[in-house]
Amino acid sequence: MADKKEVETTGHQWDDDEGFPLKEYNNPLPKWWLYTFWATIIWSFGYWVLYPTWPLVDSFTKGTLGWSMHGEYNKEMDAARAHQKPFNDKLEKLSLKEISQDNQLLQYAISGGKALFGDNCAPCHGSGGVGVKAGGFPTLADDDWLFGGDLETIHETISNGRVGQMPAHLKSAGGNFTDAQVNDLTAYVLSLSGKSQDATAAVRGDALFHGEAACNACHGDKGKGSLKDTVNGQPPPPVGAPNLSDAIWLYGGDPKVVRESIATGRTGLMPAWAKGSKDTGRQLDPLAIKQLTIYVHSLGGGQ
Amino acid sequence: MDPNLARTYDYEVIKKFSIAAVIYAVVGFLVGVILALELTFPGLNADIPYITFGRLRPLHTSAVIFAFGGSVLFATSYYVVQRTCKARLFSDFLSNLTFWGWNLVVVLVVITYPLGITQGKEYAEPIWPIDLLITVVWVAYFINFVGTLAKRKEPHIYVANWFYLAFIITVAMLHIVNNLAVPVSLTDSYPVFAGVQDAMIQWWYGHNAVGFFLTAAFLGLMYYFVPKQAERPVYSYRLSIVHFWALSFMYIWAGPHHLHYTALPDWASTLGATFSIMLLLPSWGGMINGIMTLSGAWHKLRTDPILRFFIVSLSFYGMSTFEGPMMSIKSVNALSHYTDWTIGHVHSGALGWVAMVSFGALYHMMPKLWGVTLYSTRLVNLHFWLATIGVVIYIVAMWISGVMQGLMWRAYDTFGNLNYSFAETVAAMHPYYLIRSIGGIVFLVGALVMVYNLVMTVRGGAKQTPATAA
Repeated sequence: MADKKEVETTGHQWDDDEGFPLKEYNNPLPKWWLYTFWATIIWSFGYWVLYPTWPLVDSFTKGTLGWSMHGEYNKEMDAARAHQKPFNDKLEKLSLKEISQDNQLLQYAISGGKALFGDNCAPCHGSGGVGVKAGGFPTLADDDWLFGGDLETIHETISNGRVGQMPAHLKSAGGNFTDAQVNDLTAYVLSLSGKSQDATAAVRGDALFHGEAACNACHGDKGKGSLKDTVNGQPPPPVGAPNLSDAIWLYGGDPKVVRESIATGRTGLMPAWAKGSKDTGRQLDPLAIKQLTIYVHSLGGGQ
Repeated sequence: MDPNLARTYDYEVIKKFSIAAVIYAVVGFLVGVILALELTFPGLNADIPYITFGRLRPLHTSAVIFAFGGSVLFATSYYVVQRTCKARLFSDFLSNLTFWGWNLVVVLVVITYPLGITQGKEYAEPIWPIDLLITVVWVAYFINFVGTLAKRKEPHIYVANWFYLAFIITVAMLHIVNNLAVPVSLTDSYPVFAGVQDAMIQWWYGHNAVGFFLTAAFLGLMYYFVPKQAERPVYSYRLSIVHFWALSFMYIWAGPHHLHYTALPDWASTLGATFSIMLLLPSWGGMINGIMTLSGAWHKLRTDPILRFFIVSLSFYGMSTFEGPMMSIKSVNALSHYTDWTIGHVHSGALGWVAMVSFGALYHMMPKLWGVTLYSTRLVNLHFWLATIGVVIYIVAMWISGVMQGLMWRAYDTFGNLNYSFAETVAAMHPYYLIRSIGGIVFLVGALVMVYNLVMTVRGGAKQTPATAA
């Protein structure tokens, strides 16, 4: 075998000073290789007949199948739109409450809302609305609401956005209170959820909370927040002041973080998402907002 | 060998390029590992702009392709062309110009990329002054190579040199056309092509950088080092001619398959895909010629880990040149495009083929350059296994991650709404990113073993009795 091949070398030789010199057999092209090569060429010719391929002077060969990228895209999109149209038509006509009472429509809205939420809301509120503490992005999967968890309120929140404004209290941050007073307020706020470590400071803080600092004006007399408390028997203004007594924290319940909230204040901003709203960067159509509303409502805390 | 003849060859420039290649290999792989870890744990960049993914990524690709791969090609092409022509390199001045010029390019790249000073073209990030420098170096390389061929003392030009020459000529053309731009300041310029034309030129360049830099040139390397190491004649001269011309002719058309389902016209997309399919067998011609050269010498694989590097590199070459045409088919591409599958594909070619065949060549060539024997065959074997295991871990992780990613992106529920948000697909990829990082680390450790082995080789040659194969 080796001898036979030896005869087939081209007879050329290179680099023969050292080691084995470079030589070349002249074996024929492997048949399977050659035939497969021809097969790919024939396949390509077939493909050229069927699909748009060769450029002409001011056009190109269109192919016998009439296929085009845009054609394929439009076909798939048209089919998807046709599939969703009956659902969307109903969704447009019915109220949020009516949608939530029709099981199939409810499932449809939740499915669409989930996709919309993943692309638009999850970056701040987390996947599934679990919230991100460090940024003060509220959890949407519990029943601790700032502005309200019923369908209409959620719809309003998504459409037009919300601003939550906690003012700064420390003098150096533009407030009216000393370091010691801010510490007292912190002690009192922590005592509302049983976490205070300094009872005497909490007593002093209590006086400030309901007096000079007037925290109760927004957070309520019992510190239970805009939604669950009263101020002198009246509901507090709907400013989204959180419940301070339930051990659920928007920015974190660590004493340092609570103190920071009181000292330098917080601003929470939920952008407006509706098309035509003041925030022109975000343009969700009414159908999308409806689906998002139903989805957020379904996360666990809808009222 | 005849010592007088050895002295007529210019080995100095080859030695320098070999050392550069070894250093750049480690640097390039290290940056790759850092990037893999940054993708796994995004906090690792510590918000330092210079080491963010976007700035390090082009540094990694340029370091491995142009610094490491380029140095390997300069070194081996100068080695091969001299020995197969029995002639000293055409000009010592040009040889030195290519070495110092190429390394100056690398230094400038290392400085500018992390500062964010690039022209934003993939694999062609250098700003215009660096592009001009590259052009000068490349023209010097061309003259030096062709000049050496012209003064050859052998009647025939060995096949390896055809591939090297095709690489040098095509890369010159690609580099110049893709970087045509109007400078507006020292660091900024505007490309002469715009929109989809620019994208098409970019991928005509990008794909043929793969085709001629990472394929044709390394096939040239293969055509010299595999028969030399196996001590067998090349399997088929005829096959080498046919696949050389088929490869050269067909590769140049295949670029549009990077732009399926974009603003690129349908006809260009189809044309690119069909030429990619027709490219499969011409690509495989090199693999067949390499592997069949070993027929009759298979037993050597048991004792020669350098030969193992070659055979495994050819296997990875065959695999990725099969995978590539498959991925160029539109319906496959619709799934694979923009996913980690592409990253896995590139690395099965880059690590499995280019790096492995380069390691084999360096192990073969460097002892000869310094006139010593290799320090340790056992360490070559260790490197071989680390490299092979590293590549396999890497590409398997990326295949799974990529296919999963592609399937998650296109998953719809019964209502026709997307099943997963983008963030969820990213979260799902996390474990595979970690596995990929591990594969990369294993590969890097292998390269460090090589550095130690080659340093010891160059410093003093064999310090042990002939190694037994593990």
